[in-house]
Amino acid sequence: MMATKSIRAEFLKGLWDENPVFRQLLGMCPTLAVTGTVITGLAMGLATTFVLILSSLVVSSIKKLIPPQVRIASYIVVIASFVTIADQFLKAYFYPLSKALGPYVPLIVVNCIILGRQEAFASRNSVGRSFIDALGMSTGFILALLMLGTIREILGAGTFLGYRVMGTWFKPWIIMILPAGAFITLGTLLGIAIAIERKAKRR
Amino acid sequence: MSLSSRMILVLTAVGLITGGFLAGVAKLTKERITLNIQAEIERAIKAVVDEAEVSKVLYRGEGLVIYREMDAKGQIAGFAVQATGIGFQDKITLMFGLNETLTKITGLTIIEQKETPGLGAKIMDWETFLQFWKNRDATGELSLRKPPVRTPDELLSTEINTITAATISSKKVLALVNLSLQKVRELIKDKMITIEGDDGH
Repeated sequence: MMATKSIRAEFLKGLWDENPVFRQLLGMCPTLAVTGTVITGLAMGLATTFVLILSSLVVSSIKKLIPPQVRIASYIVVIASFVTIADQFLKAYFYPLSKALGPYVPLIVVNCIILGRQEAFASRNSVGRSFIDALGMSTGFILALLMLGTIREILGAGTFLGYRVMGTWFKPWIIMILPAGAFITLGTLLGIAIAIERKAKRR
Repeated sequence: MSLSSRMILVLTAVGLITGGFLAGVAKLTKERITLNIQAEIERAIKAVVDEAEVSKVLYRGEGLVIYREMDAKGQIAGFAVQATGIGFQDKITLMFGLNETLTKITGLTIIEQKETPGLGAKIMDWETFLQFWKNRDATGELSLRKPPVRTPDELLSTEINTITAATISSKKVLALVNLSLQKVRELIKDKMITIEGDDGH
């Protein structure tokens, strides 16, 4: 029988042990595509948080009503609905941000973090635990996007949240805001994450 | 209840509930989204036609919208042309202004683009690109000036500056403007729009 984790551990696992980006390598499409600036990374992280938390709440609430044969189809419909709401909300209240994120908000529907958590967690756990799990995973995802966005924006444009932080001597590394820069940054951060993990295991 | 009936029932219920919910959300946000798009177009028009106060759509076709702009006194301030075409990576939507006789381009602004950040995306920059679109000759074809110059005074009235390391994006914008100008001339020739009259199609 699976041991039940404490609420704190349930939340914290998303930040490091099961971090969706650095440990599970899930949600790579938005991670690479929208982290050219901090603000787009943060907006994507918050939109994903909204969808993940609400989908987990709904799926964990109705899990006993859904026949296993149609569970994935049902989860996708629920997820797609929340994604559409997030997309409409951004278009209505944060129009420039919605334009900057382009097709990546609708693409949250196929983000493996969301469907993965419904299948692996929300469909097998209580509403409360599913909420904490979704909150932890979302926070881990936001932190990962913020790390990538910060590095890429500072090195690629010399700014942080649009404010200049590098002196006039600094010549932006254009490659950092191009797709290649996303792969370089992600690869470097993954390498660091693996090194930290190995060091921790040796102790 | 059989498994098949239960599956149909659950999927139908999920579809109906989420569909109804989404219809409500769409109703709540529709007006605001329309206003956002409208405001963006108005901002673009004001950026390219000085003294534009009242807009009227003269023509709306595939990838091309022509607006007639009136000033506060009710006189024609100029025309704004919104055009959409393919850029280096994805669609580019731009707006350029024409004077009241359609002989000069009064300015250009980019509404939407997904060109390469740091390179082609400089089509959005005033210093690098947009300032060179003021007072261009709109009676014939415009061409690109290469190598690029530093100030608009160094260009002929039929020339547009090239963005260093983003020649393709510069060319795509230029081609879109040339094509739109040609279409405007054809529409006038075919009497599909009239520049001084009250109504267009």
